[in-house]
Amino acid sequence: MSSLHIPIHHNTLKNGLRVVLAADATAPVVTVGVYYMIGFRLEPQGRSGFAHLFEHMMFQGSENAPKMQHIKLINSSGGVLNGSTMYDVTNYYEAVPSNGLERVLWLEADRMRALKVDDENLRNQRDVVKEEVRVNVLNQPYGGFPWLDMPPVAFRNWANAHNFYGDFHDLDAANLADVQKFFKTYYVPNNAVLLMLGDVTPQDGFALAEKYFSPIPTSAAPSFADPSEPPQTEERRGHVEEKFGTLPAMAIAYVMPTRRTPDWYATALLDQALHGGRAGRVYRDLVLERQIAVEAEGGVDDIFGTNGPSQMTTRILHKPEYSHEATLAAFDTILREVQDNGITEDELQQIKVKWRSDYYSTLEGGRGGYMPRYGLMHLLACFTLFDNDPQLVNSILDGFLGVKREDIQRVAKKYLVPENRAIVFRAPVAGKKEAA
Amino acid sequence: MATQATEIAKGVPALAAERAVTWPKRTRARLANGLEVVLAEAHSIPKFHGELYFRAGNAQVSDRSTGLAEMTATLVRTGTAQRASRQIEEELRRLGADLGSSSGQDTSAIGFAGLSEFAEPLLQLVNELAREASFSEGELERERRQKLEEVKLERTSPGFLAGERLRKVLFGAHPYALVSPSEAQVTAYKREDLQGVYREIYAPENALLMLVGDFEPQAMLKLIEKTFGNWSGRQARPKEFPAPPKPRGRRVYLVHNPGSVQTQILAGCHAITRKHPDWIRLGLTNSLYGGAFNSRLIMNIREDKGYTYSPRSSVNALRHHGYFSVSAAVRNDVVAASLTEIFYEIDKLRSVPVPEAELSDAQNYLTGIFSLGLASQDGLLSQFSTVELNELPADYLETYRDKVRAITSAELMACARKYCDSANMQIVVVGDRVQIEDQAALFGDLEIYDAQGNKL
Repeated sequence: MSSLHIPIHHNTLKNGLRVVLAADATAPVVTVGVYYMIGFRLEPQGRSGFAHLFEHMMFQGSENAPKMQHIKLINSSGGVLNGSTMYDVTNYYEAVPSNGLERVLWLEADRMRALKVDDENLRNQRDVVKEEVRVNVLNQPYGGFPWLDMPPVAFRNWANAHNFYGDFHDLDAANLADVQKFFKTYYVPNNAVLLMLGDVTPQDGFALAEKYFSPIPTSAAPSFADPSEPPQTEERRGHVEEKFGTLPAMAIAYVMPTRRTPDWYATALLDQALHGGRAGRVYRDLVLERQIAVEAEGGVDDIFGTNGPSQMTTRILHKPEYSHEATLAAFDTILREVQDNGITEDELQQIKVKWRSDYYSTLEGGRGGYMPRYGLMHLLACFTLFDNDPQLVNSILDGFLGVKREDIQRVAKKYLVPENRAIVFRAPVAGKKEAA
Repeated sequence: MATQATEIAKGVPALAAERAVTWPKRTRARLANGLEVVLAEAHSIPKFHGELYFRAGNAQVSDRSTGLAEMTATLVRTGTAQRASRQIEEELRRLGADLGSSSGQDTSAIGFAGLSEFAEPLLQLVNELAREASFSEGELERERRQKLEEVKLERTSPGFLAGERLRKVLFGAHPYALVSPSEAQVTAYKREDLQGVYREIYAPENALLMLVGDFEPQAMLKLIEKTFGNWSGRQARPKEFPAPPKPRGRRVYLVHNPGSVQTQILAGCHAITRKHPDWIRLGLTNSLYGGAFNSRLIMNIREDKGYTYSPRSSVNALRHHGYFSVSAAVRNDVVAASLTEIFYEIDKLRSVPVPEAELSDAQNYLTGIFSLGLASQDGLLSQFSTVELNELPADYLETYRDKVRAITSAELMACARKYCDSANMQIVVVGDRVQIEDQAALFGDLEIYDAQGNKL
């Protein structure tokens, strides 16, 4: 059924750097990414937020491209650049007209080889990151809800449970020695993958990768803390105050099965049955039909890009005249219906078509319309780092399209249980006063 | 400007020879009923992206209420003569499609994307929404309540409050001043009003159907004729509104948001529309000032001083008027310092010629990112839409890069002097007045509002 096949080429340099290439000369544009296998989940204890702060430091200068030069060289080549810190990986990426490919590779190699930053750079970026946290979390209605509220309620292992954006005192405590240690431990070629997508031939791409990256010495493979969770035996609940927003909110999250197991594929489609837009059961029931909620959406955050405990999360903003408990009870009836009766064959077929269509868009899609092939890059990188198999991009769809009705009902019964869930209630301070 | 000496990179590889940038050919047609059609092939994935645009939006019907076209668009997807809301949503999922209906100041649109193998039923559904929306009372009452909660909630977002106030200040009595309805207005929306707007705006004579994706254009054109050919309807006469007077002198508008731990700054002044001959020059000016990561404003208040995470400037074009704006969410204790740098960088562009090397870097940036949209269906759709909706010359995309490259330093300065009007910028700050009022008052006569829009 899947009718899109992407030619993928890959090899490994002597220093352990994996190189993955997807050529397509339709447009004279090339996307380059470097992914390191370290995210905020396994950042050092006592240094919450450090993986993200470190990501900022990677733009602050390397041996041959001092501060301001990295950004200037990409922009003046007609390109855009950014980076992001995720649970288990951190990425750096550029999209440029293809005549800038060699320059981009030179820059990425320079900072992989020799990051060069000072105390002033660290102070500057610590200030920038604090404003980032304020604009995205502390000064916004429902800021950080539920991605920052849920971990401490749901998880017991610090790796999964801490504040990924960083407590300010931890950010303040971070010093240059931490920066250099983190760089030397994780930012090594044998813990990374280089990706080139678009207007580049495999021959040229691999030759340039060899030229710029092979001089970087290999290093000891980093050791990683164990991110696994102790078994959960009870439902977990937490409460957070909403400082600005007007509506009561709640998030309900279930821990997902291990990735690429039959249960994982089935739960991903169950997630679509529940959260697939306005046709999904949760939105249809709570917003369109019973009209308890104003917003009801959810899903698995970055399902292909996560390599440790992850959750299927429902986020609900509901009308003030319904209590948290009444709303939760309504939500539970939706789940019970799937557990008792499963989903129809027609519904399953609809979900599979939509899943396939969404998957194509993921592969093609940019990030906010300015990063061609961001999705393809992300999947290739994660399948390489987690599975050592970038070709999964062309076959993983089959796992989802093979799910059967009985699989959906089975995983609904097995995973959508109180002992596998956590709930965060976020009630407005203002709303409480009004209701009193 | 950066206080530290800027060092130069060593050993940077030169750029290779540039590959030609070729935009896909567009197939154009106009059906007998007036519907304009623009099609372009892009075979990156077995899908297609489309927009059915109507050249009128909230401004056109603002004499009746604020946001009436938007509420009409919201209802359009909730039921037709043939299908209830649930059937529409399930049909979309069956076709692997996404669809949205919305309305801005100048246009209303049904946007969609789906698998090429289901192009026919998806276009049929779009056709049905454009012609047979039923506006049932039940759906209206649900959407009314949704909207009421939404308009309450948006008043807690600093970005919304800043944008709303700036538009009021710049556009006064013009409909462009109104970005969102009041609760009272939403409560008063009537079914007949929405149906009236629907008849007036959703007519083929007023519409443009644009598709980009994996299809054969002639076959697609036949399908479009078959699907939309027997639609009829007359275009309502576009309404004209007097031009808003340009505010003179700097003034400061503080929106008091108690408990804010940061201040949202948004400053702006009148500029131009996309059709104006200076548009591309102003785009380059903006890019140098604060439109790119490598721009002066970002290097100054983020990379040098660390006041903010996300400063940026933009040129905003509505159909009849445009404005230039600068925004930054900054630490409460550096509101005055940030505004000082914001104006310093504007005034510098207005008084000191941009060095040739910096100009050429900015030209490379603007011409380069222009090509990035070539690599995806929605990127292409967005570029083609800009050309069509703004009635730009047919060779706009093909000649844009040459035009950017021809801009001189002298033209840039003239452009900054004309449109980055620092002496008449209107400054909005959203934050806790206790912490920022004294700083804000240093920059002009101060007016203070609460989040509900009442003057304090």
